[in-house]
Amino acid sequence: MGLGKTLTVRAISLLFVLFFVLFLTVVVIGATGMSDRILNSMVKDRVRGITQELATQITDPEKLKEAIEAIEQDLIVAYGLDKPWYVRMPNMVWRILSLDLGNARTVMSFAGSNRVSNIILERMPNTIFLMVTVLIINFVISIIIGVKVATKPGSLLDRATSLYSAVSYALPTWWLGMLMILTFSFYIRPNNQPLFPFGGMYSAPPPTDPLGRFLDMLWHLGLPVMTLVIALSGSWIYITRSIVITTAQEDFVTTARAKGLPERLVLWRYIIRAAAPPILTNLILSLAFYLGGAILTETVFNWPGMGLLYLQAIMSVDEVLILALTYVFTLIYVIARFILEVLYVIVDPRVRYK
Amino acid sequence: MKLLEVEGLKLYYKTLRGPVKAVDNVEFTLEKGETLGAVGESGCGKSSTAIAIMKLLPTNVEQYEGKVLLDGMNVREFNEGEFRRKIRWKRISMVFQGAMNSLNPVLKAGFQVAEPLIVHQSMNKKEAIKKAKELFKLVGLPPDFTERYPHELSGGMKQRVAIAMALVLNPELIILDEPTSAIDVSIQAQIMNLLKRLKKELDISMMFITHDIALASDICDKIGVMYAGQIVELGPSENVLLNPKHPYTQKLIASVPLLRGDRTPEFIPGAPPDLVEPFKGCRFYPRCPYGKDEFEEKEPPLIEVEKNHFVKCWLYGDVK
Amino acid sequence: MSSYLRESLSEFWASKISKLGVIFLLIVVAVSVYTIATFPLDYGTRYWNNPRYWVDNPKAAEPQWINYFLGDKKLGHTVLSTNMPIKAYLSGGYYLKFYSVSYDLTVNQFPTFINLKLEDVKYHTRAPSATIFITRPDNKTIELYTLTIESPVPNEVPPYIRYSDEPKRILLSGEQYVVPLRLSNYLLQEYNLSRTPSEVIEIGYKKIIFGEITEEDDFQPLKGTYIFNLVLKARQGGDLIGKTTFIIGGQVYGLMGTDTLGRDLSQGLLFGFPVALLIGFAASFITTAIGASLGVTGGYIGGRVDNVIQRVSDVANNLPQLPLLIFLTFVFGGKLWVILVVLIAFGWPSLVIVVRSMILQVKSASFVEASVSVGASKWRIMARHIFPQVAPYILSQMIFFTPSAILSEAALSFLGLGDPSIPTWGQILEYGFDHGAVYLGYWWWILPPGLLIVFSAVTFVLIALGLEPVVNPRLRRRR
Repeated sequence: MGLGKTLTVRAISLLFVLFFVLFLTVVVIGATGMSDRILNSMVKDRVRGITQELATQITDPEKLKEAIEAIEQDLIVAYGLDKPWYVRMPNMVWRILSLDLGNARTVMSFAGSNRVSNIILERMPNTIFLMVTVLIINFVISIIIGVKVATKPGSLLDRATSLYSAVSYALPTWWLGMLMILTFSFYIRPNNQPLFPFGGMYSAPPPTDPLGRFLDMLWHLGLPVMTLVIALSGSWIYITRSIVITTAQEDFVTTARAKGLPERLVLWRYIIRAAAPPILTNLILSLAFYLGGAILTETVFNWPGMGLLYLQAIMSVDEVLILALTYVFTLIYVIARFILEVLYVIVDPRVRYK
Repeated sequence: MKLLEVEGLKLYYKTLRGPVKAVDNVEFTLEKGETLGAVGESGCGKSSTAIAIMKLLPTNVEQYEGKVLLDGMNVREFNEGEFRRKIRWKRISMVFQGAMNSLNPVLKAGFQVAEPLIVHQSMNKKEAIKKAKELFKLVGLPPDFTERYPHELSGGMKQRVAIAMALVLNPELIILDEPTSAIDVSIQAQIMNLLKRLKKELDISMMFITHDIALASDICDKIGVMYAGQIVELGPSENVLLNPKHPYTQKLIASVPLLRGDRTPEFIPGAPPDLVEPFKGCRFYPRCPYGKDEFEEKEPPLIEVEKNHFVKCWLYGDVK
Repeated sequence: MSSYLRESLSEFWASKISKLGVIFLLIVVAVSVYTIATFPLDYGTRYWNNPRYWVDNPKAAEPQWINYFLGDKKLGHTVLSTNMPIKAYLSGGYYLKFYSVSYDLTVNQFPTFINLKLEDVKYHTRAPSATIFITRPDNKTIELYTLTIESPVPNEVPPYIRYSDEPKRILLSGEQYVVPLRLSNYLLQEYNLSRTPSEVIEIGYKKIIFGEITEEDDFQPLKGTYIFNLVLKARQGGDLIGKTTFIIGGQVYGLMGTDTLGRDLSQGLLFGFPVALLIGFAASFITTAIGASLGVTGGYIGGRVDNVIQRVSDVANNLPQLPLLIFLTFVFGGKLWVILVVLIAFGWPSLVIVVRSMILQVKSASFVEASVSVGASKWRIMARHIFPQVAPYILSQMIFFTPSAILSEAALSFLGLGDPSIPTWGQILEYGFDHGAVYLGYWWWILPPGLLIVFSAVTFVLIALGLEPVVNPRLRRRR
């Protein structure tokens, strides 16, 4: 079967995406002179600091000036400022590709380390946990509800669901998050304790026992997950419904019934199973939204994941961190898409090349 | 012994404009081993008759009545569960129009043929596939094609698979709805030969639905010509073809181009009948060259003009 | 061709969804037009981002209309000005001019602040002084504050003008030296209550000025008419104050309330309409134009051109949108046109793929073959035969893309990457979120902008849904 070939082609395409993103990021930072500006100001900062130190040791102004200039030169070479950006960058890119991510300029990990890899590794599980939870819940909901309303088009449930889908498409996820906090943390407070926490991943101070910690995290996970599910499940439900309705009208479904197969079997093996490829395609296409959703939701709920980190990196113009994060984000995205593409090939025999 | 007797079969669909009388009082019989052709234009009710017999009703049914006697038992009255377990595919099966789409694209061809065995007879998968392979051979397909997916088969091959699928539970009656209209003419000939062979070898009864009267004449013992949801002529193929009584039948035959000879094919003037507001009297009246005013008043009954040859036409009877 | 158009229009108009969508759209357009006509285009930089413009407003005030729903009504915001003294006389060598305004306290609340604003003061010899008295409904008088106008500087000639470019503002309720002392005296005099100035500060001036003492030694608002007097003690008869304003801070303000800077949210929210409309339409129109043309070209011409277009679209379609959007907006600055360009850059690929496949389907249709055989040129075929088939779909895609453009711009603004020169809904929410509006329950700040975003996006969703039957004939009702 041509499974291998199909997958290889997709993999190459996705790798291309990865390179392109990295390339784009590097070019943009370099060509706009941003890289130069940032490194220059970093050099100046260091020089200023060293100057003060040296001034206490060297009293001869001539010698002092020489010493400072020498140090400045060293720094310029060290930061690579003596070469233009397109010479400097590839080195950085190569290191990033090999996951040697270097040190962040301003941001620190919770444990106090400067190393980008530590910082990212600390937060990656948080984001992944959040997003995977949402993905699974959304998937299950969309299949259950999507199939349910597809079997009874025009019913009250169907129309209500369609309305919900239309509205949730127009609903900004992050605003919904704010509303949730307003409602469940500010307004609904039994015993003057917010029903759900205002944000963050753990309470301060967090519980000491592992089970307590885990439950505390789940409690904090509540609002972000609810927000993302409400905001994002609508379109999935609608698309699942459309696909199932279309598939249910196909001739082979009628044939299946003519064959005397019980209705449950027809539903699962002929309708849902045959609808799986387009549904999966839809999943693949909406992954990008989920990534974006992560950034916005983590900001609103102060969830310490990679999304929030990305924003912090951009705001503090931490060049290394920005590059590294862009890379990691794209890498995760590419890997997730690839996994789904593999699933797709398994599910739809028509795409396997001969 | 009559295998199938259909009496007063009616199937009306609900639409915004009113009920569409797709099958309006259809009656015919079928002997064991006989092949009946149902011939007519698109929309005349031939496919709907098949649906009515198989009880594959859509959701918008306005009216559904009549007798469908299989070996004397009115199976139309069975409830869905019973019909599904006892009749569907076991005693009556069907080959649908456009086999391209009647196969599930994500399941292997062999499995789809074997499936009824697994579901209805609780056979295990291996044995069922073995049986499927035998059937593949029977319809002229290499047995290892059972491992192929439908998109890996040509149109003609898919049609053969559909036929194999219809045969798997050894039904007494197979309904074939336009089994060759979506295929090349050359393959069409192969399929027709296969059907004729099966008819001889298995002594199976068939109902052959087509718009092509010439095709029907190739395989059918009996031909029923349908118009506006009703059977307007019914009789042995030779009689109907060589001696058509109903003006519509005559026009149908005349519209087939001849390989030799000067005759230009005729066409039937006028528009197809409206199934929501059918004509009060003879439904062919608006397009009939021999129509007389009285024919508008009352619907003609089925009149026997020769032995076993019936016509629904006032030309052969008395309007009073 | 035109009958097709007419039929399409009647089909579109048939459903209630379309009608609703069009009504909403008209509302959005009408408000946008009103906003642009009423406010200057530099409203953002000149007013919205200028804190001084809003300094007289109460901060974080709820909208006025909540009073309809409250039993215990909240206090409205009052600004009282006068430019003529109600009386003036000569006394002891000084001209005394009384600038007075009358204030009615009708609800059971204390005002939130008292501000004094003086404009266009003119004097001729020596700088005058001004004293502020408040006469309460119970006829008690409070002498609250005295201020001296600035003396002439060397080389200045009379008449001496003060506070004409920039008004003099005194936040009486925040003044820490004179007012507490005066209030302390007042308490002693009128109530025989001994409170030190720092105790006065703790109690809060508004309670003392506007309240009466209860049994529990606390203060309760005294309803009634208060007269605020500013007495100008001047040397010359011609000395005057051009405009005297007392601002009695309320708890509610305006149609939509205010934010922590005192900005009238109803004005800021108005600007969101034209921005949404502009971004929405511009982004979707240009995106659709590019995507559709590339799709048509690729599908029709085929060959190498088609291949290239496909490869590029494929990669572009696979890019993770928001992270790159954020990144690029940040690097190039959060100007409106940058956001537009970036949105377009991400939007066009998805359209290319679909349009291309539609073109491929239509291309092999027999009527196209017929045209070719008759000798029609490629362009003519594309324009006359192929395009009309895909046009409805393209139009519907364009409309469907608009909400996501609006939402993307709002998201970027919310993250702080928006265009700072114009107030947009996302920006208002950003400011609110950064200043804890969510945690402090400032619902009037959080709800309306979001609801408006949803409203404007839903408008286009409705229209797109209404267009569906036109585009997809299978869903048509009339048949």
